[in-house]
Amino acid sequence: MTIATGLRDLCKNPATILSRYRDSGVKVIGYTCSYVPEELIISAGLQPFRITNIGADASALVPSFICPFASAALENMVRLEDFFDGFIVAHTCDPMWRLYDILKMKISKPLFLLRVPHNTDNELSLEFFKLELMRFRKFLEKNSKATIDEKALFGATRLCNENRSLLKRIYMLNDNGHFKINALDRFPLVLASMWMPKPEINAQIKTLHFNDSKSDGSVRLHLNGTSIYDIDLIRIIGESGGFVASDDLCTGSRYFWNNVEESEDPISALSYRYLKRTPCPSQGPIEDRLEYINFMIKEFRAQGVITFAGRFCDPILYDSVHIRNMLSKNGVASTLIDYENATQEIGRIKTRVEAFIESIGG
Amino acid sequence: MSSQRGRSRVLQATRKTGELIMEYFSKAGDAKAQGKPIAWITVFTPVELLRALDIYPIAPEHFGAMCSARGFALDYFEEAEKKGYSQSLCSYSRCGLGYALSGMSGLMPPPDLLVTFRNSCDVYVKWWQSLHMHLGTPLFVGEAPYVLTSEDLDNYVLDYVVKQLEQLVRIAEEKFRLRFDMERFVNIIKLSDRASELWLETLKLRRSRPCPLGGRDSASDIFPLVIMQGTEEAISFYEELLEEVRKKVTKAEGIIENEKFRLLFDGIWLWHAFSLIKYFEDRGAVFVYEPYSEAWAHRLDASKPFESLARKVLAMGLNVDIDLRIKRFSESIKEFQIDGAVLFSNRSCKSWSAPQQVTADILSKKLNIPHLLFEADMADPRQYAEDQIKSRIDAFLEVLGET
Repeated sequence: MTIATGLRDLCKNPATILSRYRDSGVKVIGYTCSYVPEELIISAGLQPFRITNIGADASALVPSFICPFASAALENMVRLEDFFDGFIVAHTCDPMWRLYDILKMKISKPLFLLRVPHNTDNELSLEFFKLELMRFRKFLEKNSKATIDEKALFGATRLCNENRSLLKRIYMLNDNGHFKINALDRFPLVLASMWMPKPEINAQIKTLHFNDSKSDGSVRLHLNGTSIYDIDLIRIIGESGGFVASDDLCTGSRYFWNNVEESEDPISALSYRYLKRTPCPSQGPIEDRLEYINFMIKEFRAQGVITFAGRFCDPILYDSVHIRNMLSKNGVASTLIDYENATQEIGRIKTRVEAFIESIGG
Repeated sequence: MSSQRGRSRVLQATRKTGELIMEYFSKAGDAKAQGKPIAWITVFTPVELLRALDIYPIAPEHFGAMCSARGFALDYFEEAEKKGYSQSLCSYSRCGLGYALSGMSGLMPPPDLLVTFRNSCDVYVKWWQSLHMHLGTPLFVGEAPYVLTSEDLDNYVLDYVVKQLEQLVRIAEEKFRLRFDMERFVNIIKLSDRASELWLETLKLRRSRPCPLGGRDSASDIFPLVIMQGTEEAISFYEELLEEVRKKVTKAEGIIENEKFRLLFDGIWLWHAFSLIKYFEDRGAVFVYEPYSEAWAHRLDASKPFESLARKVLAMGLNVDIDLRIKRFSESIKEFQIDGAVLFSNRSCKSWSAPQQVTADILSKKLNIPHLLFEADMADPRQYAEDQIKSRIDAFLEVLGET
């Protein structure tokens, strides 16, 4: 299978698509996190664009000990503000939450903080989040001067569900020990889904054809972390004799694993889907995350787990202790590799990856 | 400068806090021995509710601050780090986790319940989850959404918190076979309100020139307001403190002699380097206002105890929008006649530190207040460069002297 060169180029510099949107009069909403329902943005006639760390250094507006991903994402929002018609920040972890405070002082575009409950297994949280999504809907209506009716919301939900189903179908090709799709092809499809118009990316995915299963002797790995936009991190795993069979990343399976129920009460359905989805390290009971990682390892027959952690990423650093304890008990090898700037540190990271793969027989 | 060094600059009431803290922890051991449930809480948890249920609350954050101040924290940090917790994580949490992982044989009895509310920081949740994973103790995570406007203190946001407080009561009743006594709860709310009233009255007196209560006092005097809310002991403490401070105001006696600069301190105090406050005082600079000191002071309405307590949980600490926090900065500068601001960029508290640079810009550019922003850690002395910080303080005070 070969993905279009355009998609690979987009991953190297996602901001390029913003010029296209501006030139064609498309209004764009930047959002920071996979807890923000794209469905609502699309149903207001706006184009969602997931904010990344690509192309930016750490921001001088925050101290050096703040998560480098959040810091670079902040820099990108300030730097690229003119391309956007508004920004949505989700309260998941401390740095993401506080980006809202900083942006409020530094940008003039409409800004919205989506308050995502951590306690996702509490029924009270579902009701709260539903009301929070209604506030979000009003914000979008006010700033797009459009009305989000049920029909538009239903259409957007269906479109996003189609995208998620397509991505999941591809992902599942590697289950039970298959080697059908390389992560270097798979990851750009997920990332592009966060930047491109959904009908366009869905059409591209539908044209793809896949190889037969073949083992090339690579070590099957599960990749744990938060958001990874640096495709080089994926590339070096392949170059080191590893095969990313599965992941629990916000730029990976967590983005598309669960669909939204197409119901008569779309906001409740969104509230349920986004709170009950596979949790990120900041959200939900840790037991749910451990269970999901275990499921992935079994389903995709991973021989080891690599955790990529942005330095100072508190949620992943707390979780990594419990993930390591669980994996060690289950006899699964794991390693944690942290970094501040993946591009600048790629040599060191690759050495660590190689050593890990070698240690488990690669 | 030498004239500043001659006298004690801590209030009589403040001197009693050390004993009060030890007594509070020691009573936790007694409560445990009597079979009362012990809750480990984060400091923005509504202790009033737990007290009404006869659950004894203790805060590992206090334990962390105390260990740091007395030089015991390093062993606990190392224990947590040995088990895989990164040195970049909150030092209070590393101290608390290190203690939990090394047998809990000190001042804090093992918990029967872990309670946290997600106000002010998200680390609370990860820390408490970690304790839950290591100890197997039941965990209650309360949500307190960020207060974006004052409307949130009356709409679905408030409702969400009220319902969670009621939920916490039901869970505790069921788990420990306790009975929630509404009358007792209302009385505790009244006591808590009175303690806040006394403390707020005391803080107001810091507007006097010279300032009667300094940073070393406010840092210690806050303890009963955090953990002893709803007790007669807390009220006695604050009555005595208020009386002492009033007398000082009447006599126009400042906490330091020759007060030259009146400062705002933004952050948590450096417990392992508490003498840094004295370093300022030795140079004629006194801390007259800290957002930290106001964080737990909330008036409560006993006729609506749950609603009132929910508002407190929502509006505590850093859980209110930056516009509201900056508004308070602006008011305090006028109220307390502030000459300069010291902002402590705390490696442990990313929630507090992340927006400090924009706050500093507003202080300088809009409010015309010179500031010093320095980086260190509140409890981990390994991340503290004393000489460098002191020379920056010297430079800052020199600038203040010229303005």
